[in-house]
Amino acid sequence: MSRLYDTVEPSVIDDEMLKKAVEEQGPKEEAGKIAKQEGIDYCDVLSLRLDFRNILKVDNLWQFTKLTKLQMDNNIIEKIEGLDALVNLRWLDLSFNNIEMLEGLDKLTKLEDLTMYNNRITRLENMDSLPNLHVLSVGNNKIDQLDNLIYLRRFPNLRTLNLSGNPVCDDQGYKLFVVAYLSQLVYLDFRLIDEDTRQKAHSLYENKLGELMHNEKQAEVARQAEEDAEKELMKHKEAYVEHLNTPLLFESMYKEDPEGMKLSLLPGLQDMLKDFQDKFVDVCLKTFEYGMKGYGKRCTELAEFNACIEAAKSENKRQAVKVIDEFDERKKKLFSELLVTSDAVDQEQKMNEYHEDVNAIWDVLMGFEMQLVDQLEETIKDFERNMTDMTSQLVEYIQGLITQLRDLENAHNEKLLEMCMSVLEKVVKNEMDEELPDDLRMLFVDKDTIVNAIGASHDVHLIKIDNREDEIVTRSGSWLTGCLQDIQAGECARNRARVVEISSYIDHLRDEIDTLDLPEAIA
Amino acid sequence: DYSEYPESYKENTNKEKLILAYVENYRRQYVHLFRDRKPLFLNPLNECGIEKFVCTTLRPTLLSYKELYHWQGCAEFTADYLTMKQLEPPQELPLCLLSPSTILKRQLGNCFDFSNILCSLLLGAGYDAYVVSGYATKEICLTDESRQICPLLQPKEEVKKEAAKPEPRKYSVKPPRDLRSKFIIKMEARKKKEEEEEEKKKQQEEEDKIAELEKPPPDPLYGLRIHAWVLVRGGKREVPEDFFIEPFTGRSYPPSSTSFLGIESVWNHTNYWANMQNCASGCKDMSFDLMDTEKWEFMLAGSDQSQIEIPDAEEELYDMDDDEKENEDEKHLDMPASWVLPILVTKNQYEMRCPQGKKTILYKKAKLEKYANYLLKDGLVTRLSVYTNNELTDLNKVQEWYENREDKLVTRIHQDGLITEDFVEGRPRSLQQHLYKANNPGPEAERTMTFFHKARVDGLCKREETPAEITEHFINRDDFLYLRHVLFGKRQKKVAPATAEGTPRPILKITEKFHRNVSRPASEDVAEQVFVLHEDKIQVTYHREDPNITASTRDFFKPPNAEEKGGNLQWANDMTSTFQVNPHGAPSKNLSIYENLLMLIQTEQKSIQLVRVSEEEVRDILMDRQKEELASELAISVYDTERNEKAKKHRKELERLAMEEKLRRQEMEMDYLAPFLAQIGNPDKINKSQAFKLKEDCLADLKQRLIDKANLIQLRFEKETSELHKRQQDYQQKQVAMTKEDEEQYFNYCSEAMFRIHILELRLNRHKQMAPHKYMQLEQKLRQDQRLSAIHSIFG
Repeated sequence: MSRLYDTVEPSVIDDEMLKKAVEEQGPKEEAGKIAKQEGIDYCDVLSLRLDFRNILKVDNLWQFTKLTKLQMDNNIIEKIEGLDALVNLRWLDLSFNNIEMLEGLDKLTKLEDLTMYNNRITRLENMDSLPNLHVLSVGNNKIDQLDNLIYLRRFPNLRTLNLSGNPVCDDQGYKLFVVAYLSQLVYLDFRLIDEDTRQKAHSLYENKLGELMHNEKQAEVARQAEEDAEKELMKHKEAYVEHLNTPLLFESMYKEDPEGMKLSLLPGLQDMLKDFQDKFVDVCLKTFEYGMKGYGKRCTELAEFNACIEAAKSENKRQAVKVIDEFDERKKKLFSELLVTSDAVDQEQKMNEYHEDVNAIWDVLMGFEMQLVDQLEETIKDFERNMTDMTSQLVEYIQGLITQLRDLENAHNEKLLEMCMSVLEKVVKNEMDEELPDDLRMLFVDKDTIVNAIGASHDVHLIKIDNREDEIVTRSGSWLTGCLQDIQAGECARNRARVVEISSYIDHLRDEIDTLDLPEAIA
Repeated sequence: DYSEYPESYKENTNKEKLILAYVENYRRQYVHLFRDRKPLFLNPLNECGIEKFVCTTLRPTLLSYKELYHWQGCAEFTADYLTMKQLEPPQELPLCLLSPSTILKRQLGNCFDFSNILCSLLLGAGYDAYVVSGYATKEICLTDESRQICPLLQPKEEVKKEAAKPEPRKYSVKPPRDLRSKFIIKMEARKKKEEEEEEKKKQQEEEDKIAELEKPPPDPLYGLRIHAWVLVRGGKREVPEDFFIEPFTGRSYPPSSTSFLGIESVWNHTNYWANMQNCASGCKDMSFDLMDTEKWEFMLAGSDQSQIEIPDAEEELYDMDDDEKENEDEKHLDMPASWVLPILVTKNQYEMRCPQGKKTILYKKAKLEKYANYLLKDGLVTRLSVYTNNELTDLNKVQEWYENREDKLVTRIHQDGLITEDFVEGRPRSLQQHLYKANNPGPEAERTMTFFHKARVDGLCKREETPAEITEHFINRDDFLYLRHVLFGKRQKKVAPATAEGTPRPILKITEKFHRNVSRPASEDVAEQVFVLHEDKIQVTYHREDPNITASTRDFFKPPNAEEKGGNLQWANDMTSTFQVNPHGAPSKNLSIYENLLMLIQTEQKSIQLVRVSEEEVRDILMDRQKEELASELAISVYDTERNEKAKKHRKELERLAMEEKLRRQEMEMDYLAPFLAQIGNPDKINKSQAFKLKEDCLADLKQRLIDKANLIQLRFEKETSELHKRQQDYQQKQVAMTKEDEEQYFNYCSEAMFRIHILELRLNRHKQMAPHKYMQLEQKLRQDQRLSAIHSIFG
């Protein structure tokens, strides 16, 4: 409101403003000079102050990815926005602005201190992604709902809260309410919460609080269960057999099969269908179990492989490091000798010695690397072979089981056909005891119709089964190729990196002796 | 002097007489059957010259010292507490066997006395123990341990842990092909083996030679020397198998030991067994199954059954023929009760252990000295000196154990000019071990100090020093520092003769090493920083990134006196040189390098400070140690009620106060009405008139006493006054003739008399003031007295 009379033009955050702020708040003295020469990258800045600048809109801050502290108080900001890039932010000060709503904080997961003092906020909301919040200051705002404060229960680390100056504070029970519901608080409205108040609040709200906590607990348990189920499903998916432990496949066969649905109403078919379902689900379950077993085996195999590879790498690294350390010792000694000798012959000799040593160490290191490459190549081949065998075995077995499913479907189909024929006969002869539903009756007009209907149903079923089979086969195949490709690529990258590392190290060693400040040689 | 012994020492009861007759019978049969065997030790005389059966001289006792609950403790105590006296002559049984209490009083005894006491203690602790009478070697009989290795020096059996061989895993990489010739390797191995065997053979020969040389000279009395020791049979108290305890030394031996040459008989408090087995080859193949009548001839039938057999297995049998058993028992004679006084050892005696609290034992190339706690001023309890030769002249190592020291020192070892001192937790600087050269104990010398790093804020666990170096090891520090190494230069010679503390040694180089701090990227996490002070150089090595084998390094060359410039340090590009492992990574900015340099310069200053602090600490510790050695005070536990003077005083004071309180209470309870109640015959109920009378009497009595007292004081006052008056008159008359002494005497008397009169006057006045109060008080009390409540009652 006071800004109503402000005559200053609202400004925006532009490069000039940022540059100036960064330079002003950056290093001083000699460091400042260096910084000026070199220029400061926005992405290196850790804290930034943009206060009293009549900023209307937050913008152009996307470069400040390392920023941990941002002060933008005493501006005329109306909306929280443009902060999504500042994922490392821990301290955000937006006090004395014109913000009406809490929003746009979702990405600031590391935020610990949030100051919104003197704004126009009416509700506490949209802060679910800030689990680390420690200090929250929302004084002098327009929060008026006592119940809204329960929202703050989700911040287990919240210790300091400032709400003074909100309409809600006029409520008589305000203080006790806050103390009771936010038991994690230590300071409320600039004051330490004493034990007395705490007890009073607790006894006052004991019942309500108990109920609330009970509900929260239940919600938590439910969430946990859901999460577990989700995890389990993920596992099943990785084993390619999700939902096979439920009758879902069977149900899906009939879901997209209108003829089958109609036929299922045939008298006497219910029992047969039930029998069919039982057998079908039983085989599905077997498939599921086998798939899970295969998954377990794959996991242990992969873990074993990774462990062995890691062991080989670390052993190789140990050897190489030892060689390098030993060389370092020699180098130090040689250098210190070189620095004191002034005999040209001696110097020459020592230099040669050093260069030979460098060559030798290059040989040794490269030898280690070659050895490791050979070893890993062989092991990877072994692994590849084993994995391929394992996968094909799994697929074959599962295919066998699915063939069983198909057989079951065929048998069922034949039985159904037989049954329908007898029913058709009866219908034709008008000997039918029971009344059939109309749409079912429509099928029994002649033999062709009924045979077609049954055929269509059968086809749908078979397609479903085939699809499931194909899915398993393709997914396992693609997993295998992906896995092996990753391993190969990783090994390749590792090898490249190591070779580059060795070369650059050797180069460095050669440079080192060249740049050595040798004493004047006397021939 | 027999009079101090109780009756049981001086005569035999009927039962004892009966058993002695039994014994005589047994002996007669034995002598008859084995004419060529030596007599048995059955009924020696006691201190009063009375025959007593040896079994009754045992008295199973469990003393209230926790060490004596185990056989090791019992054996050690017996060996320490008594002084040995050899048998005279060594091939004959002693005539007497004294009671344990007498022996404990005299602290002197022969092998039978030793065994007797030890066996009593072991039986009391629940062991299945027996006294053995037999034959042993000269070394055993004379407690000559100079051919034995000291038990403290015996190498401890190391539990060898089989290093778990890593299982060959499915995907383990194949080791690189071994390109060496198999033949050559084989030949080398063979050669090595041969050499080893040669070496072994040589060693063996050497050992044999030494053993030959060290063999004791042949003993003319070999096999005839009588000895007594203790047999502990397996089964009870979780003893797995039979073993001997030699009572002079307290050592245990297996029955197969070659030191024990034969056994005549064994006994405990229940029975006596004569050995029927051949001892030609010592005790090696002897069976100690005392139930086997082929091998052992018992004396009392029946009494030992329950002792020998395992009760569990026989329980049912027992139940079945219970009656039979009882009948049988009645027929047999059971052992009479022990005639000896109970075995008592006071706490003081127990703590003094050895006679006079000191004992010296000679072992092979070693001497062991034991002292009682608090006997020596410096708290020494054990000293073991190890020599290189058998004559004990060439000292090699001295190990000393201390107890109750105020400075927490527990052991000190001198060896090869090095002294190692071990401390227990609780010292001010958490010193655990201090190793230094005996000839150079001062600061800046070679030494190693180990610390209890958990008790130290800086996590220091070890500091090694040489004159030019200090290496400090740290554990579990928040800044991941684990090693700091300092290299010192020589002190520059100055004109003024500086003291050691005066000028600190110039520091040439400080190296600090850090563990990996996972919260930082490896390329920014310092692994090692070296401050080369004399070259104004700082070398920083960073940790290796996980797959990398090389580490990034950065060297700084700082301008002279950089530490004083702070933020004003001028930057130049040639002040640093860098090796970056990842050649494609963006090079660090000058700004961050500059800030890094500033920080390092600060760290350098801090490190220098810390080095100085370390030096100071070493000096402080050494000073403390010196002071402590001089003071060598002993700590006394607050629970030690005897030695802790303060606690004792406190306790006495408390006792005294309690006593006083009690007396006072008694006084308080004095009943003022008692005499008057007695006058009327202590009636149960007092009626009104009686109550009135009582009250009146009581008050009248007090009044009378008060008046009497006033009169008495008055009387004395008058007497003093008149006396003084008389003397004054006397003086005035004889004043002229008086000598100076008499005059002085008179003045003395006057002043004293005046003082007395004054006091009496005061007392009289006070009495006059107090008397009404006292009267009122009594009246008040009487009014409230429950017994006189009849006064106030309306019904008389």
